[in-house]
Amino acid sequence: MHESPIIKLGGLRIDLSVVLMLVVTCAIVFILAKLATRKLSVENPSKIQNFMEWVIEFVQAQISSAMDFKKGKPFLALGVTMIMFIFVGNMLGLIFGVVTEYDNKDAATVFGQPIVSVTEKLDTLHAKGEAHPHAEVAWWKSPTADIGVTMGLALLVFVIVHYLGAVKNTKAYFKHYFQPYPVFFPINLIEQFSKLLTHGIRLYANIFAGEVLIGVIMGLASSSVVGAVLSVPLLMAWQGFSIFIGAIQAFIFVVLMMVYISQTVDMHHEEH
Amino acid sequence: MNFVWESTVITLIAFLILYWLLSKYAFGPLFSIMEKRRELVRQQLDEAKATREQATAYVEEQKQALQQARQDAYDIIEQSKQTSSKQAAQIVELAKNEATRLKEDAVREIQNEKNNAVEQLRSEVGVASVKIASKLIGKEVKEDSVQGELVDQYLKEVGGRS
Repeated sequence: MHESPIIKLGGLRIDLSVVLMLVVTCAIVFILAKLATRKLSVENPSKIQNFMEWVIEFVQAQISSAMDFKKGKPFLALGVTMIMFIFVGNMLGLIFGVVTEYDNKDAATVFGQPIVSVTEKLDTLHAKGEAHPHAEVAWWKSPTADIGVTMGLALLVFVIVHYLGAVKNTKAYFKHYFQPYPVFFPINLIEQFSKLLTHGIRLYANIFAGEVLIGVIMGLASSSVVGAVLSVPLLMAWQGFSIFIGAIQAFIFVVLMMVYISQTVDMHHEEH
Repeated sequence: MNFVWESTVITLIAFLILYWLLSKYAFGPLFSIMEKRRELVRQQLDEAKATREQATAYVEEQKQALQQARQDAYDIIEQSKQTSSKQAAQIVELAKNEATRLKEDAVREIQNEKNNAVEQLRSEVGVASVKIASKLIGKEVKEDSVQGELVDQYLKEVGGRS
């Protein structure tokens, strides 16, 4: 199990791998989008422009399947950004990994700051009485394999959904908490928060599990010759499957986001 | 599972910056291009529709013009047929009239000639009868007008009786 490189900065715990991967993901997505829209043409679009238009139309289709497209149009750019961000993030962890190992508390520093997660781990291992405490830190991974990141995205959707519900559809929005009877209020409340949790955790768990299995296969590869031979087809299969999972999860995240938005924006439709 | 809430905040900030950048520099122009293309396609479809309607109208017009021309040609032929038959009838009529007139002329001429001949014969017969009479009665019948008239009258009576 790899640790995250967390440093203390002004009382805040900053996860450096998350920061790094977020920057890389954002940069890749932005460069991709910028390349696609570099030489825009109405009549003779380039291949990459066509691809980007295909992505946009794909998200458009998801929005129209969830709600009236006129109402969903403002979320088109958000949906496209979301699907590209999550897909690129999911893919990044599949290419390679950067892992550093620490045996010594004094060596576990970055930019002159101690990596607190490593020192804590070494301390607990030491307390358990291990002679050679050992910690591994993953620097390069999918940003979406971190629960903090996926919950951040889910939280963004949650805030948008409930803000829109409270502002644009106030009466129906507050009424629906007490439907069909006022007794159901706690259940409805729990439902809303369970939506938030499942939205974030679904993405995290799928990607994280994929990376854990890749780590396990790599461990098998380094264990013995037979394991190394065996690990090659296994890794190929699992990498391919992970690409599939990554694409599906990005798709599901955006579909659910549009469904949640439509549920509050289009709420009065459900009543009659 | 180690939840670091600072990561959530960093993610939100990073994502919102990415969203802002993309909306401003990538999607805004791309959406407008896609909208323009939609507009272009709709415009071209409209144009094609208009052209097709025009073409249909032209074909209809051409059909009508052809029909009209056919009708005109038929009318002309019909008319010329009528005219020619009328003309033929006229010509025949004219020829008939001419023939009748010629015949009548000829009849009249013959009548004239006959009358003339009769007249001439009568005067010659008168003269001859006077001569015969004078020869018979010996120069007593003079060839004057009174006697001539008498003879004429007599001859007329004879002619009228015959």
